Order: sequence, then C-alpha cells, then structure tokens
Amino acid sequence: MFKELDPILHSQLRLAVMSLLIGVKEAEFTFIKEKTGSTAGNLSVQISKLKEAGYVDVTKQFKDNYPLTICKITPKGVASFETYVKALQTYLPK
Amino acid sequence: MEEKQLSEKESMFIIQQMINRAKDVFVDTGIGPILWGVVITICSLVQFLQIHFDFRLPFDIWLLALFAIIPQIFISIKERRERKAKGWDQDIMGYVWICFGVGIFVVNFINNVAAYQLNPLLSEYSKLAGKTDVINFWTFGTCYLLLIFGYPTIVTGASRKFKLMIFGGIFCWISAIISAFTVAKIDFLLMALSATLAWLIPGIILRRNYLLQKEQHV
Repeated sequence: MFKELDPILHSQLRLAVMSLLIGVKEAEFTFIKEKTGSTAGNLSVQISKLKEAGYVDVTKQFKDNYPLTICKITPKGVASFETYVKALQTYLPK
Repeated sequence: MEEKQLSEKESMFIIQQMINRAKDVFVDTGIGPILWGVVITICSLVQFLQIHFDFRLPFDIWLLALFAIIPQIFISIKERRERKAKGWDQDIMGYVWICFGVGIFVVNFINNVAAYQLNPLLSEYSKLAGKTDVINFWTFGTCYLLLIFGYPTIVTGASRKFKLMIFGGIFCWISAIISAFTVAKIDFLLMALSATLAWLIPGIILRRNYLLQKEQHV
C-alpha cells in the first residue's frame, strides 16, 4: 500500500536541503547554496517554507561584520524526513 | 536546482546525492596531526639521544610540546572559522582531544610526583645493595603516556573511517605494553615511532587529500 508523501518535502530543493541538513549538525546558508547548486533567492524562499513547517531552525549572526545565516534541522524535521523516506520506500520496487 | 515536483526515484536519488555531498564537511586539513606528530617525535628522539650519548640540553625538550599548544589554538580557531558546516560528531571529537590533553597533563603530574618520591628510594636501595641495574621510575612513565596516546587516535580514526590512524592508535597500545619491559631509552624510541605512525604519517596523508580536494574545487 502506498503511503502519502509529505508535500513540504516532496519538492526538489526542499528535499535536497533536508537531505543535506540531516547529515550535519548545522550548516551555513552559503554551504547549502554551494552543495545544492541553487540560487540564493530560490533557496531563501524554500528554507523559509521549511522553517514555517518547523522542519529547520534558522539563526542569523554576524561573522567578520558580514551577516551569517545558519540552518539546523529540528527534531520535527528529522521525524518528518524519516517518515518521508519510509513512505518513499513503499513506492519503489523491492 | 529548480523547484519542481519529483518522481519517487528522483527523490531517492536526491537524498543519496545530498547525503554524499554532506560528507565533504568532515575533510581534515591534517595540520594538527602533523604538528603533534613532528613535536612528539622530535621530543622523544632528543630524549633518546640525551640518554644514549649522556648529554643534557640547557632546557627541557618537552617544553616544545607545551609551546606547541599555542599554534594548535590558532589552527583550531582558523579551521573553525573556515568551516561552513558542522558535523554531528565534531563537538564530541573536540571533547575527546581536550580529555586527551588533560589526561596527558594529569599523568605527567602523577608521574613526576611518583618519580620524586620513588627515585630517591630506588637510588638509596641501589647504593645499599651495591647494584647498578636498579630501575628508575621513568622506565614505566612512558607506558601510561603511550596508553593515553592510543585512545583519541583510535576514536578519531574510527570516526573518520581512517584505518591507518586506527592502526597507529593500536601501535601506541602495543608500544605501551612493550615499554613496560624495556629501559627508558628504548621507551622514547617507541614513543617516537608511535607518534610518527599515529599522527605524523596519517597527518601527511590527510594533508595531501585535503590539498587534492581543494585543487579540484578551484
């Protein structure tokens, strides 16, 4: 039986961000941008959606007088990601 | 990367691809292991030469290890600033090496206290018994240090899946056992060899890999 896929995660860039963040404790915005190959504007929008869903925490700091955005996956984000992967497996041939 | 709906296979591919890309976070510059590998190897070899050729430097060569903490602090700060992402085990590894530093300090402190108390007694016994081959406490001092060398090295090697470092750590433990049966002079040779195998050689390999990876990204 096919399980429903979380619409927040079932999108290319948001899924890429979550997959990246699940492997690290926290990451700078520039790191995510570089690894996903996305544009700053698009990434910013998608991270905001993940933040609204409570899947990531975003903190803003300053480093050498430049603004620094740090993203971190939340426990809710981890749980949703795990549920998403399990649901995804039901669609794939065994 | 565009924002679009995905097929299930594409989703799986993205997950695998991104998890692999996140692994780049754990790249070690190798400077720390090279620094400590060089310092401990030099200190141990100089100590060996001092005993073997019966001479004394005007200063304690182990002060070099104390001064090496200063560049290590700068290296750690620089690496932390350059890092754009933090791995899950990074804090734990930091604590492992802090515990190592504290452990070395505590063992050295206890060794010095024990040597201060026991060596005069052993020397007295040597005179009274007329024996010239009575052991000195320092014959055992290096065993504990080598034992402590092994712990963080093995943990770091296991965490980074770097077999050579695990082997280096195990070699430290083997050296610790051997040094219980050898004279102080040989103990320092074992220590030099352990530092070379546990830190210097793995550090050089890590450095080479780091520079290669950096070149590919340019």
